[in-house]
Order: sequence, then structure tokens, then C-alpha cells
Amino acid sequence: MMNTKQMLIQFILLICCTFSAVAHDNNSAKWQWHGFIAQGLVDVNGSNFVSNDKSLSTELTELGINASYNIEPNLRLAGQIVYLDGGNRYHKGTRIDYLLLDWAFYNQEAWQAHLYLGRFKNVHWLYSSTRDIPFARPSIILPQSVYFDGFRDIAVGGDGGALKISHSDDEHGDIDFNVSYGTSPVSKEQGQLILGKLALGKVQQDFDLQASLYWRPTFSAWRIGASILDSDFSYKQSPSDFYSDGDFSFKFYTLNALYEGEVWEFSGEVFQEDFTIKGFYLPNFNKVNIGQGYYFQTRYRLNADLRFLARYEYFYADRDDKKGKKLEQATGGLIPAYFAFQNDFVLGASYDITNNLKVRIEHHWVDGTARLSPVVQPNPLINNKRYWQMFAMQLMYWF
Amino acid sequence: MFIKNILKLSLLLCVFLFSQPAKAIDIIVNSTVKTNTLTASQIRRIYSMRQVLWHEGLPIVVYVLPSKHKLHQQFSKEVLRMFPYQLDRIWNKLTYSGVGVAPIEVDSQQALIKAVMTTPGAIGYAELSNNYNNIHIIKIKG
Repeated sequence: MMNTKQMLIQFILLICCTFSAVAHDNNSAKWQWHGFIAQGLVDVNGSNFVSNDKSLSTELTELGINASYNIEPNLRLAGQIVYLDGGNRYHKGTRIDYLLLDWAFYNQEAWQAHLYLGRFKNVHWLYSSTRDIPFARPSIILPQSVYFDGFRDIAVGGDGGALKISHSDDEHGDIDFNVSYGTSPVSKEQGQLILGKLALGKVQQDFDLQASLYWRPTFSAWRIGASILDSDFSYKQSPSDFYSDGDFSFKFYTLNALYEGEVWEFSGEVFQEDFTIKGFYLPNFNKVNIGQGYYFQTRYRLNADLRFLARYEYFYADRDDKKGKKLEQATGGLIPAYFAFQNDFVLGASYDITNNLKVRIEHHWVDGTARLSPVVQPNPLINNKRYWQMFAMQLMYWF
Repeated sequence: MFIKNILKLSLLLCVFLFSQPAKAIDIIVNSTVKTNTLTASQIRRIYSMRQVLWHEGLPIVVYVLPSKHKLHQQFSKEVLRMFPYQLDRIWNKLTYSGVGVAPIEVDSQQALIKAVMTTPGAIGYAELSNNYNNIHIIKIKG
């Protein structure tokens, strides 16, 4: 008996193969079709990041197909559907990744301005817009401090509008300014992924405002950027709820830098998150957690096809409790101190088999569990180890 | 004596190899394009999809060869002064996040020349050995 997942994968595979066969003919000035298929194996030892048991998992499937159609020279319709299975990392299933109308309302040699309406992707962080595109991100599992999978469906984009203004000239280089305003629908599964299964009420995102600025000097290998995010959520308790009504405010600030050389590449992001909880635990509860962190990453290209990766990531959820002693004390030892931080060291490699086929492997050595879902109500029974490891490999094809 | 000869021969071979001029890359455009010269940074902007209209207002249609094609690698490094992986990143980001469109990839030089010949506003690159109708070569300034 074939299960629904296998049927869906076969269906998308069939579509991908069909489109792949006709893609070369169908990519014209008006139409473009593209897609990707990736399947991997992941083995986590010491946490429930992917699955609740210790065996090797195939829950590392990513499929997508997109199209872009030029209605007028300056008006374009574009959309992408993805199917994702990452085990416990995020809700398994098919999603409309983006579906937007792109109006290039100002076009000049040096200036371009676009307005995007509909469901857009988050373009503000270094890898936010390609976090689900296996071959276009630096590793299989991204730094969880910034690209926290438990928060993926909310952070990946929004429904609303976005504006992009780009400027390029020989004197100033390339400058990009992006601003977006919208909300993301929060499903019951997504709500419970963050708050835990005891939260029976409804979570809603009230708004999400983000802006970013990137600058690359003329002909430079360097690019630097900064972003800000301001978002509010509300929680409405259900009649037999363990929790009360609550308001959450999330602010996120990042600085990033990227160096792209012929064989060496360096990149990193530094960030701070201000997370305010009003109510929820108790009607009069009020707390601000300021979390901070960074990651630094380098890639080395041995030859045209083989690339190595090393990355170190450092994160704590509360700057007044970096080691988690207060957390452990406040919960009477119920939540161990290592739930206050998560640091990860990664080594990996990727090999380009052809122009459109790549294989990637990586190993993570993790210290801490602050980015294991659900973060609001941690599970110390399953995640009873401070140090845990993960091995992943993924084969990816795109067209 | 023998070694000396070998050395001389190697030296000659080196001189011969390195004095062979690398075949020049021509930047080609469809004859509907009125532009005759571009700076290296303008070509870079066009291939980074940061300039999408010709000076006269015609939309630019960008053609490329696969990223591992020798001519694409040469074009990328020598003309654009970028590494092919940087271009792939820019294009992948546009294509898979919906914010724009990437150049149209064709398999061979012949297919690229044909596409530029038949598409108004098209730009591409090739090592031309003949003259073609409907195409003119762009001079690179500076």
C-alpha cells in the first residue's frame, strides 16, 4: 500500500520530470518554469530535533516547483509550491511558498523599484529567501539561532506587501533596500510547535514589519547588510485551557557580512532578539527576554566541484541568564540549565555531480537545547542530554 | 646534453603555449538593440539582473550557457570579474524566491547565438567565427 506521502512525492516528481523535459523550450522572455527535488538521510543522536527515536531518518524531503509569467514588461505574476518533510523541525506538508504580483514601477539604468503584493518571501536575512532551496543554502541544516525551523512557517514570509529599491552605479556600488509588511497564518500545528501541546487556544500574528539594507562596493568581494524586524502575536485561550490570554512581541535585529573569493568564502550574522511575553503563563505575567548570538561560517573550494564548510554558532535565549542557572532554579530543576543556550559546530562538504545535481554531507556537534521545539514548554524528558550530534546527507536536483 | 635539450624544448613549448592568444569573447546583442558600447560594470549589472531595460526602453533578455561551460566561466571571470558561483547565487535567489527572473540558460553556443538572433532585446556572449544576421557585437569600454 502506498501512503499519501509517497503518492504526493511521486506526483510532484512526475510534474518535475515533465517540466524539466520541456523547461528548456518553455523558458522564454515571457514564461519561466523551475523546480527542485531533494531527499536526504538524517541521524540525530541525543535530541528530538528531527524524530523522537534514535534511528536513521528519511524525514529530509524538499520538493518545489515555480513559475513566472510576464503579463506586461513591468508586471509579473510568480508563484511556488513546496512540499517539505523535516520530521519534528516543522509542519510536514505542501505549502504555497510565494504567490505574488511583481510591479516594477520604476526602472532606470541605475535605479530599480519593485512592489510585491501577495504572499512574499522574507529577503531580509542572509539566507532567509533560500532557506528551503537545498542547493542555494550553505548547509542542509541552517544556523538554528537565526533560521529556527520551529519558527519557519512564520519567518519565511508573509501575506501583504513588500517594496524593493535597488541602486547601482560605479561610484557607490550596489545598494538594496527592502521593506515588507504582512502577516502569516498560524496553523494549530504551528502554534503547538512553538507553545507545546498544552496550548489549546488560538495564536494569531497581528503584524510583521521588516526592513533591510545591503551594500556591496563596486567590484568588491564584500557585501554587508543589516535588518530589523518588529512583530506582534496574540494568544486567545480556549475554554479549558492551561494558559491565559497573552500578547507576545518579537523584535529581531541583525548585522551580516559576506566575502566571496575565488576559493575562500566567509559569512556571518550577529543578532539580538527581544521577546516580550505579557500574560499567557498567568494573567499578570510580564517578562522581556533578550537573546543574542552569532554564527561565523567559512567555505573553501578545493576545485570546481568540491567545497568544504565549517561553521560555529553561538546563542543564548536570555542575556541575563547565559548559562541557564536562573532558568533551572526558577523551575525547581525541572528544566535543566542547558535549555538556555545552543551552540553548534558544523563541518560539511558538497560535491557538484553535474550542473544540476549536487550531494551534500555535514556533521553537527551541538551543546545545548534552546532551539528545540517547543521552546515555550521544553521537553526535558526526551531532550535529556546537553550535548547532542547530528549527521545529514542530501542529494538534490534542480532545473 | 640530453637534459639541456629537453629543457630548451620545454621552454619553447611554454612560450608557444602561453603566447597563443586566448580566443576573445564577443558580447552579442540582437539588432533591435541600439546600444553599441557598454562598460564592464554595465554588463555586470545586466548579468546581475540589476539593469533590465536598454537605454532606449527595450526590455533586456539575458542568455547564458550552463555554469560549468568553459565559455561561461571565462566570460564570468574576464568580462564580469565575478566567479560563476556568485552569479548562480544571484540567479537562484531571484528564481526560487520569486523576486525576479534569472537569465535564460541554453545548452550550447550555437543555441545561444540563435536565441540572440531571434529575440528582440537579447544579449549573450560567444566566440564568433562568422558573421551573423540580426546580431551585432558590443564594444566594451574602459
